[in-house]
Amino acid sequence: MTAAGGRYDAAVTGIGMVTPAGLGTAASWDRIKSANGTAAQRVPALSGIPADIGCWIPGFDPAATVGKRKAWRLDRSSQFAVAAAAEALADAGLDPAAWDGARVGVVLGSGIGGAATWEKQHNVLLGQGSEKVSALLIPMLAVNMSAGYVAMEFGARGPNFVTATACASGSTAVGAARELLRGGHCDVVITGGAEACLVPSIISGFQQMGALSVRRGEPTAASRPFDVDRDGFVPAEGAAVLILERPESARARGARVRAHVSGYGASADAYNATAPEPSGAGAELALRAALKDAGVDPRSVDHVNAHGTSTPLNDLMEARLIRRVLGDRPAVTSVKGVTGHSLGASGAVEAAVAVLTVEQGIIPPTANLDSQDPEIDLDVVTKEARPADVEVVVSHSFGFGGQNAVVLLTRP
Amino acid sequence: MSSTYDRLVGLLTKGFGVEADEVAPENTFEDLELDSLALVELTLAAQEEFGIPLTDDDLHAKNTMTEAAGVLDAKQVTVR
Repeated sequence: MTAAGGRYDAAVTGIGMVTPAGLGTAASWDRIKSANGTAAQRVPALSGIPADIGCWIPGFDPAATVGKRKAWRLDRSSQFAVAAAAEALADAGLDPAAWDGARVGVVLGSGIGGAATWEKQHNVLLGQGSEKVSALLIPMLAVNMSAGYVAMEFGARGPNFVTATACASGSTAVGAARELLRGGHCDVVITGGAEACLVPSIISGFQQMGALSVRRGEPTAASRPFDVDRDGFVPAEGAAVLILERPESARARGARVRAHVSGYGASADAYNATAPEPSGAGAELALRAALKDAGVDPRSVDHVNAHGTSTPLNDLMEARLIRRVLGDRPAVTSVKGVTGHSLGASGAVEAAVAVLTVEQGIIPPTANLDSQDPEIDLDVVTKEARPADVEVVVSHSFGFGGQNAVVLLTRP
Repeated sequence: MSSTYDRLVGLLTKGFGVEADEVAPENTFEDLELDSLALVELTLAAQEEFGIPLTDDDLHAKNTMTEAAGVLDAKQVTVR
């Protein structure tokens, strides 16, 4: 719908989450509000490497969603995507048996794709030879397959793709999904992100870059966004899915509109493969584009759901950006203190949290923020969830490659 | 039932999401939702399980479990 001032709102009518904080949206949200970190040492899938702390999802049963006969054919990342989509569709009250599937799109973000499948089959190649490599390697590892399997599972025959902008992928997906509604290409878009790359090769790569926290003796304290003692991110897995529709069609079918996606902005740092441009000039382009897209004055943003990875460079750059563009008004939080950094899924997880914040008037706290970095001059919510009247929230995501995506949500 | 049949069912339950009590001798692979790519996987698993050479042409989606066990038995005889 085009609101006053030409703004285009996409209605969020459903949420699904499979995160280290919980199986399902309710469990994830409760744990995120508790500021109780989920990182664990000796993650089974990381056995044998020093950097074996991560936020993983024990107890996830893929057969519960896709059935036992199909589950083995999907990489863990696609299993997460299908499970989160199933919850989101049920939450939205949409029945895939009754819809016009040609009008339903799927846009998911993923940084890496089927990492566990790739690593396992590479080991088969080296150990047993080419003729033993799985015929399912390609459909399990390709980065587009999460969206493909969601389409197959629910009969969504509209536009279907995966966005890959590293740690911004989930936010990029939400922005692209809104464009499919705005352009009239779809009536419903299943959007979000999924990632499952807690495997030795990938995590060793992050470790060798110096991107990970080395606080291995106390894993639940390792992810500490904006804290003066932060030393890197904690890798995570998971998925989140939002259902987007036009507000008028959502209301016409009696759906609950939980928030609007009212703005989106994207940019590139064009600076460095992994380090953010320190002044935040690149990220600022994305933030200002999102504000302009939504027709929102920077001084009326109530809350920032930050990228807040707990790396020294990101958090400082982001804090300066927020202060410079939005001033000292917004309450800031990073849920990565609880969830860790689920890379290509993180933007979707955080957009889902932002929807819940708008809907329920609760800003979850930043876990482990014991001593705020004195260079970070922001109102960061810590220790306890804060009740707040949030009309406008921006959710930042900044990816390797210098790829930035900002989603702006409003209260309907 | 032959032990080959039981071992074939064992492979299906171990790696292919099929419950043992869902399989009957007259079921085809297709009935059990195994398509051509899944049969390539099963062929690899069966080569390892039975220690026999198999090609992608040996097992077909329309084969019943009895027929497939027969194919595997014949290959084992050849190997011996």
